[in-house]
Amino acid sequence: MHNKTKSVQSQPLIAAIISFVAIFIIIMAIAIINAPTMGGAKVMATAASYLQEVKRTALPFLGIVGIGSIALGFIVSRTVFKIWPNKRNRSSMITGYAFLAPYLIITLIFTVGVILFALYISFNSYDIFTPPQWVNLDNYKNAFRGFVDPASKDFVQSLYNVFWYTLIVVPLQTAAAIFLAVLINAPIRMKQFFRTVFYGPSVTSSVVITLIFMWFYLKTGYINFFLAQFFGVFGVDWQNILWLGDPRGLIQIIVTSLGGNIPSTQWYLRGPSIAWMSIMFQNIFTTAPTFMIMFLAALQDINPILYEAAAIDGATNWQKFWKITLPLLRPIILMVVVLGTIGSLQVFDQVYLATSGGPLGTSLTPVYLTFREALGAQGPIRMGYAAALAFILATIIFIFTYVQRRFIERGTEQY
Amino acid sequence: MKTKYYVLISIIVVMSMLLAACAKATPAPTEAPMVTEAPVATEAPVVTEAPKSTCPMAVEPGATIVFSGWGDTTEQKIYTDSIERFKAICPDVTVDYQPIPDKFQDKLKAMMAGGTAPDVFYVDDQLMTAFAPSGQLLALDDLMAQGGVKAADFIPALLTQYKLDNKIYALPKDWGTLGLIYLPEAFAAAGIAEPTDAWTWDDLRAASQKIAATGKYGGFCMNADWARFAPFAFSYGGAYASADYKTATIDSPAVKTAAQFVADMFKEKSLVRAADVGAGWCGEAIGKKLVGITTEGGWMVNFMKQNYADVKWTAALIPSGPKTRADVIFENGLGINGATKYPIASAAFLFFVTGEANQGEIVKTGFAYSTHPSQADLVVDPNDKAISSGGLLPDTRVAYWGPYTGKVNDAVGKALDRVFLGDQTVDEAFAQAQAEAQTALDGK
Repeated sequence: MHNKTKSVQSQPLIAAIISFVAIFIIIMAIAIINAPTMGGAKVMATAASYLQEVKRTALPFLGIVGIGSIALGFIVSRTVFKIWPNKRNRSSMITGYAFLAPYLIITLIFTVGVILFALYISFNSYDIFTPPQWVNLDNYKNAFRGFVDPASKDFVQSLYNVFWYTLIVVPLQTAAAIFLAVLINAPIRMKQFFRTVFYGPSVTSSVVITLIFMWFYLKTGYINFFLAQFFGVFGVDWQNILWLGDPRGLIQIIVTSLGGNIPSTQWYLRGPSIAWMSIMFQNIFTTAPTFMIMFLAALQDINPILYEAAAIDGATNWQKFWKITLPLLRPIILMVVVLGTIGSLQVFDQVYLATSGGPLGTSLTPVYLTFREALGAQGPIRMGYAAALAFILATIIFIFTYVQRRFIERGTEQY
Repeated sequence: MKTKYYVLISIIVVMSMLLAACAKATPAPTEAPMVTEAPVATEAPVVTEAPKSTCPMAVEPGATIVFSGWGDTTEQKIYTDSIERFKAICPDVTVDYQPIPDKFQDKLKAMMAGGTAPDVFYVDDQLMTAFAPSGQLLALDDLMAQGGVKAADFIPALLTQYKLDNKIYALPKDWGTLGLIYLPEAFAAAGIAEPTDAWTWDDLRAASQKIAATGKYGGFCMNADWARFAPFAFSYGGAYASADYKTATIDSPAVKTAAQFVADMFKEKSLVRAADVGAGWCGEAIGKKLVGITTEGGWMVNFMKQNYADVKWTAALIPSGPKTRADVIFENGLGINGATKYPIASAAFLFFVTGEANQGEIVKTGFAYSTHPSQADLVVDPNDKAISSGGLLPDTRVAYWGPYTGKVNDAVGKALDRVFLGDQTVDEAFAQAQAEAQTALDGK
């Protein structure tokens, strides 16, 4: 009896210690797998040569991860220690984590491990071949140097570009998605057909769409052709625009037409360029249908009784849309706006294919810049700097999402 | 109760075993591409006799090397043929040709980091920058001495970008340059004489004005491009950066005068951009008979043959500037993976492909020019010959400015863009480009 009580008392401690050790081992193993080594066939030949290389180059990295894993292990083992005496909680904890384990381990290795590695690298100068050199916050400082030194404005300009992009694309694509969804939700014939047609652009690879749009946007392309035909009707001579190669900004065009001038040293006052807006238009075209499907699902969830009641009260269709449909769509709107914002801040493939960040950097985006720096397309490979840019962008996305949640979610009523 | 306890422990054990397996497994896949007879080869890297072979170098027995580069099917054919010729000389070396047509540089950097890069591969300025300083490329000097290959055998301008700390890391495999391309009919329409090899930029300007005045053709076609601008800058005695690649010289009087010349031509409309006349690039503008003159390279020969076979065009030597006559060179080379198991076999292959015998064969196909000055006369097509002659001028150079070449050249292109847009004056635009390029060269 006495013996049993003792074992019951000591069990939580043993479990806590085991979980602490397990967490430490797992995280350190992941860290070793993801360690910043010099690579190369000789290093990767055997486990021993790899570990030797890890010892040579990655001890500071392992140290930092070690401290983190000790902290995490402590938190987890404390929880285990508390839960252990309660039999039900204990068994549900064990089953839960046992089921989670396969996915968790893969995520830890291929996502969390890589993120940890990137975080470490963002404080280093790293060319992926030689051991990383610790440089403190230099990479982060460099990123924002464009604010004081116009000669290195790439990242600042890329942020400026995506803010415009988000500001224009997110509201327009959300509105377009709601419009399409309401349209398709109406009792019309061949609903399925229209649904498929509208959804087409979203199913198609964005690479293919970008290539098609590149032809549309040629100076001798269809868009100029149609505009020329359209304006020709009114007797206006349309000047063909090189859509994807025109760096003139929206505000700049307005100011110039009013007789003013914005010098190129004040590029940040010029607004999004024609090239950039062309890409925005293309992106709205592809993304709106994706979100249309979400709105469509939400629309079909709205209880028809509400519309009937409104109709009895004499509400017009317009009133029904503003007073019933839109408020009930609010949770979906939040989701679409958040997803749209994240997607907009991360825009990459259209830029990569269509403009490579040009003309004059007016379509440069943080992700494209990260890619360019990480692969050393215009100079030495700067993996550390690229990682720092990625983390800055991640922080910005986090802030945006958080603020949006606070503002839109408040006042969201569920019926 | 006890059983639950064992369950937990067994889960932990299984998990740690899984992880242990992972840890060992990760390096394993990279072993696969390595060739089977590895131990034999590493034990005897220097073998005295190579039976039945006329190979100039004592290659490792049983060597299998992987060779990779970009290129479409035409280019791939050039290299499968080269490999056949190499096999006739060095039958002991197996060359496994694995072309990567798209995103070659990105892919190769990833392969190099993962330890799966080919033994011999194309090296351009970007890969030179990425690989040479960190020791991923084999320095070729000792091997060149062994193989009897002399740097002096190559066109001197071609070697500059492959040198680092007085060592050579790659040898040029082919190159291109710009020539003056024109439509004789445009000159006839304007009633002026066709260009000669004595032409200066002033002659070009005068002719462009007259051709543009016909109203039937645009004058001189040039985009805001650092490469097309380079012959102007060089022939005015300028360069984009100093010889030690530390100081940008974009705002030097020579470069700015050249830029002013180009800007003036643009202003008076004797110079047009390809897009201004509705073409994708200036070569197409010639093919569509939209402009009278432009500067393009040897690729025009096949382009015109395939797309505008009935358009008669002619090439001439690049015009000269006030200081000198100088052209710009584009080039690619071959390098050897620093971690190769068969350095001598790789070197034998590299020296063969870049050597005179093989280069002579490649020239005959019209694909590229020989990297050896002695073979300049082998270029078949007369237009191609006229274009290539610019590459052998003493002041001709590669627009290479060290590790930050891409950023320096980009700054020049953007400056020209701003000038053409009427956004900035030449002084403003090139001062900004100077600051941008200097920031890049400082490694910031």
